[in-house]
Amino acid sequence: MLTRKELIRYVLAAAVLAPWGRALGGTASRFLQADSDPAATGSGGPPYSGEIVLGVSAAFSGPSRGLGTELYRGASAYFSRVNEAGGINGRRIVLKMYDDGYQPDPCVENTMKLMLEDQVFLLFGYVGTPTVTRVLPLLKKFQDENIFMFFPFTGAQPQRQPPYGDFAFNLRASYAQETAGLVNNFVSIGKERIAVFYQADAYGRSGWAGVRAALAPHGLRIAGEATYSRGANYTGTMRRQVEILKASSPDAVICIGAYAACAAFARDAVDFELDVPIANLSFVGSENMLKLLTEGREDSESYTRLLVNSQVVPSYEDLSLPAVREYRDLLDRYDPQVPPELVKEEYAPFPYSFGALEGFLNAKLLAEIIRRLEGEADRAKLEQAVFSVTDYDLGVGERVSFGPNRRQGLQTVYYTVVEDGRFVPLNDWQAKFA
Amino acid sequence: MKIQKLFQRTRFGIFAIFGGIVLSTSALCLYTVDTQLSAEYEINSKNIAKTVADSSVDILLNRDMATLQSLVDQFVEIQGIRYIYITSETGEYLAHTFVPGIPEEILRSDHRNTEPVERELPGLGNFIEVGSPILAGVAGTVHVGMDLDVVALKITRAIGQQVYLVSIILVIGVLASIWLVNLAAKPLGELLAYAVELARDNDEQSLPDREVLARDDEVGHLARLFLYVARNGPRPDALEATPQG
Repeated sequence: MLTRKELIRYVLAAAVLAPWGRALGGTASRFLQADSDPAATGSGGPPYSGEIVLGVSAAFSGPSRGLGTELYRGASAYFSRVNEAGGINGRRIVLKMYDDGYQPDPCVENTMKLMLEDQVFLLFGYVGTPTVTRVLPLLKKFQDENIFMFFPFTGAQPQRQPPYGDFAFNLRASYAQETAGLVNNFVSIGKERIAVFYQADAYGRSGWAGVRAALAPHGLRIAGEATYSRGANYTGTMRRQVEILKASSPDAVICIGAYAACAAFARDAVDFELDVPIANLSFVGSENMLKLLTEGREDSESYTRLLVNSQVVPSYEDLSLPAVREYRDLLDRYDPQVPPELVKEEYAPFPYSFGALEGFLNAKLLAEIIRRLEGEADRAKLEQAVFSVTDYDLGVGERVSFGPNRRQGLQTVYYTVVEDGRFVPLNDWQAKFA
Repeated sequence: MKIQKLFQRTRFGIFAIFGGIVLSTSALCLYTVDTQLSAEYEINSKNIAKTVADSSVDILLNRDMATLQSLVDQFVEIQGIRYIYITSETGEYLAHTFVPGIPEEILRSDHRNTEPVERELPGLGNFIEVGSPILAGVAGTVHVGMDLDVVALKITRAIGQQVYLVSIILVIGVLASIWLVNLAAKPLGELLAYAVELARDNDEQSLPDREVLARDDEVGHLARLFLYVARNGPRPDALEATPQG
């Protein structure tokens, strides 16, 4: 356990090193203070006096910046509404944000700053498996401080199982559930030779393990596999990867990657005649992927007709769901933008997206949990507040429950395909792919 | 008057000795650095493989492939290590760092092998690969590939620095030796010039009186002897003692 003296020493050391870290790392941070965004009205006063500070490290730069941006927009829209209504138990929600560019080392540095220097109440809205898996040991190291990670944008296993499962709470379904759903559906229509295209890191490996585990009960193994380096751009070629997988004669390919690389693979698969269904996980960032594959093309369907993307939230077009209606209403009203300090490259957000809807649901559930603290911003009581959430209606048609052995809120996986330039629910696998 | 021929061999000798020193030192250095650095890299690779193997046991038993990959990714950031892969006891590739895929040569190799083996992987380069068993091999094997091109570059750089230093010493040494030889040759030149003047001038009274006569060394003695001979002529017995023909 950290003594008060040690903690002060850490904080002082971090304070001394902080300017150097910023200068070298190039990460930007600030309390959100946009006039138009009531979620961002952190006055810089002492934590816990009138605000609850949530620490965020996510990808706001690099090829995956769309993921961090969309997730933030959804969360910020909900917190804006909360703050406009007077906050939670009289306290405003403030996001302390850093950019990690979807790279593990900056993410670890950011987390240290958030925990020791900024003394945030909890960690929220992290993006990516390679980043989160490197942060989890930090949470274990500081477990006596009761710093929890809430609702990271990753379906990987490390934050769902020992030894780190006790330090995180998840809302979305896991990659294991997503890949199992994809595999089972493919196998059910006779597509048994399943190959994997994946990012050469913890995220890709997590999805690879999910596919492998899902194939095993069917007596099947991964037919072929190819990898790419994290940070690959759409302009790069994936021809070699296509050739490797083509040599294994797959019936379908499951991609575990980010939108730029997966879009490049889908494009090259069509260009080099690998005409099989190509599935992507929710993390891919469906709207960004679709934009890359269709922008400026007359024949916009050629690259997208065999795509199937799994999602962990329902369609944002499904207006029958109360949460979707609320999400669209708040996003229209507040239209949150990433603080200019964090913007290094241009990014045009989508009016609505799966990522933003997930961010919105994350924020909505977190606000409910904080509300259950009944005015006490006490980390030690946070876990009990989470466990008190049972059969909670988030407005997506599936009720949410947490408990000591249940640290993931939602279990449903949705499948979508591209029709008329947008992702729509896939209801009949046989008709679409058989 | 300059002395050109007398120290020619001396200069050549000095240059040859220094050159020999440079060549032999470089050769010894090449051998030592190559042997030691190669051995050091191999030992480091083995240690890293063992560390990964030891760290992997719990992760593997928990079937946490993401953490296993994360572990491997951290080690591959170490300079010189180009790839790491972990195989299960049945030969399945559980984690690796290859892009765009696992090379054929590795797929064909013995996944249980832990002895150092040199590999030439097309498009990737030359490597020395070492292995370490996980849980005595029953849970799999960790394989670490060290880039031989990086090792060669390090060796070249280390030897280059050594040769550069010795070459500078060679140049400085040769220049210093030339200067010292010239310093030694200068009085001889003066003596030679004085002797030539003595030989040309027969007027006993006008014989030159030069600084060289004041020298308190062998050259001074010789100059004074020449002057004496020029003024008094050689002694008859001395002439008789001169060997003939």
